[in-house]
Amino acid sequence: MLTDQTIFLTTSTLLIFLGLFAIFYSRNLLKTIISFQIVVFGANLALFSSGLGEGPNLMANTLVLFSIVVGGSVEAVGLALIVLVHKQYGTLDPWEIRRLRH
Amino acid sequence: MANEVALLLSAALLLTVIAALFSKSMSVTVIMLFYASLILGIIFTIFQGVLVGLLHIVTFAGAISVLLLTVVLMTGESNLNIGNRPLGAVLGTVTILVVSASSYSLFSGLSNRAVSSSESTIGLLTFVWTYRPWDLLILIVVFAAAMITIVNLFSEKE
Repeated sequence: MLTDQTIFLTTSTLLIFLGLFAIFYSRNLLKTIISFQIVVFGANLALFSSGLGEGPNLMANTLVLFSIVVGGSVEAVGLALIVLVHKQYGTLDPWEIRRLRH
Repeated sequence: MANEVALLLSAALLLTVIAALFSKSMSVTVIMLFYASLILGIIFTIFQGVLVGLLHIVTFAGAISVLLLTVVLMTGESNLNIGNRPLGAVLGTVTILVVSASSYSLFSGLSNRAVSSSESTIGLLTFVWTYRPWDLLILIVVFAAAMITIVNLFSEKE
């Protein structure tokens, strides 16, 4: 039987795989950060859906809260690093940045 | 009923994420990511996680979207235009009107009046406009949407 938990777990798996695929194949650091955000979305949805059932599950909700805070902080730091990299090298292409370093 | 809601929201979330990841334009990516954050927050809110949903929307659809938009503008990675200025003007006007109506409803105390009355529990819209956390949620969402629309509308194409 198709339950809400199954639907959300499938969606979260798809989100995580889409995000990982985009991280590996992206040629832009901004897209990498955005893909990381999508992986965080998938993880949050998986944590939340694991607590779905009879009534609210406080453990799952607390873990999602932690995940939101950590994910947001990591993304903010990543965006700051992107601004620094763009100021230093003038591009956001990782291969171009590697070529310019040598 | 709940299954249909879950399916619909999951499909919308996946569509927005795919549009964000595979779009050529960075502005479309940022806007689609914003809507994906909103949909995920709505999923949390509907399925008994109101606090988690609100925090998710405030963090990702609010703060992170603004940061992302700032970085995109600073690095010049985007040609910010939505292609159709009349459509943008209509969207901007509608969002500003909804912001005004929502602010009036939130701060004038109208939203307290019919929570327990039986005639207003039929439609989803009535529920949304009479239950106070939903009112605040809509206010946050529409403020952010108005911000992105207006930034898009007044940005020059590079």
